[in-house]
Amino acid sequence: MEMRAPLVAAGIFLLGLVLLAIGALIEPPRPQISQSGESLIALGLTFIVVGVGFFLAWANPTS
Amino acid sequence: MEGEHGTSDVKFLIGRNAGKSAVIAAFIATHVATMAGLWFDGARLPKFDFNNLNGYLVLGLSYGFANPAINFVVGGIIHYTSGIIWGVIFALIFHPALGRFIKPLQALTPVNNFIKGVIWGAVLWIVSSAFWMPLLIGPLFQPINVGVGPFLTTFGPYGVQALFTNLFWHTIYGVNLGLLFSPTPGTGARPWRSSSGVGVR
Repeated sequence: MEMRAPLVAAGIFLLGLVLLAIGALIEPPRPQISQSGESLIALGLTFIVVGVGFFLAWANPTS
Repeated sequence: MEGEHGTSDVKFLIGRNAGKSAVIAAFIATHVATMAGLWFDGARLPKFDFNNLNGYLVLGLSYGFANPAINFVVGGIIHYTSGIIWGVIFALIFHPALGRFIKPLQALTPVNNFIKGVIWGAVLWIVSSAFWMPLLIGPLFQPINVGVGPFLTTFGPYGVQALFTNLFWHTIYGVNLGLLFSPTPGTGARPWRSSSGVGVR
């Protein structure tokens, strides 16, 4: 688990980046809103935060 | 609470016992998530202003609209208190219980602590979306025609993106809580297992 952790973190982070990019592409300019675009942006950012957090937990700089 | 964690068998990133570590970690996690929620609008997401929502709940819509600063501060105190209490529940109850029921999460490692925090964030997302928003905020905003659908599938002009943005908010909280409340075995002591209870004897 400990050795696979950075790969898992990178995978989650990349998935988040892809979702964020797709969401940003289909999101129309303001003041219009897109339900699917904003949903993908939110999910993408969620995966990015989890991926970064996973990597930081694995790296554990304070130990 | 001082008992097991007050000795050298477990160390924390913050504080010397589970209670103090939980309070400080939960405060930081709440603050980071709250500030991020206020900035969501910049990322084309629905703004999540839990300070004002809590203020409207206790002070009423008319008073809150007439006195926005008081509403924000009073709601903020309630919101931060809730965030800290949920964090203490995580640290003293949920964290050790999860280690007992899910064996791979039993060892006290930073990665396991982080995963537990993310799971706790998802639990709070379900609580918020299934109960708090539709059952409390929905009826409160009904007079001004701002609807909250079941499980936050609508929120004013927004559709299901409100649900996913709420997930994002609670993930930020859970990630920070899991990273900051991170008990690990201390040096030169017997191995500590989360199933023995975090600081509760």
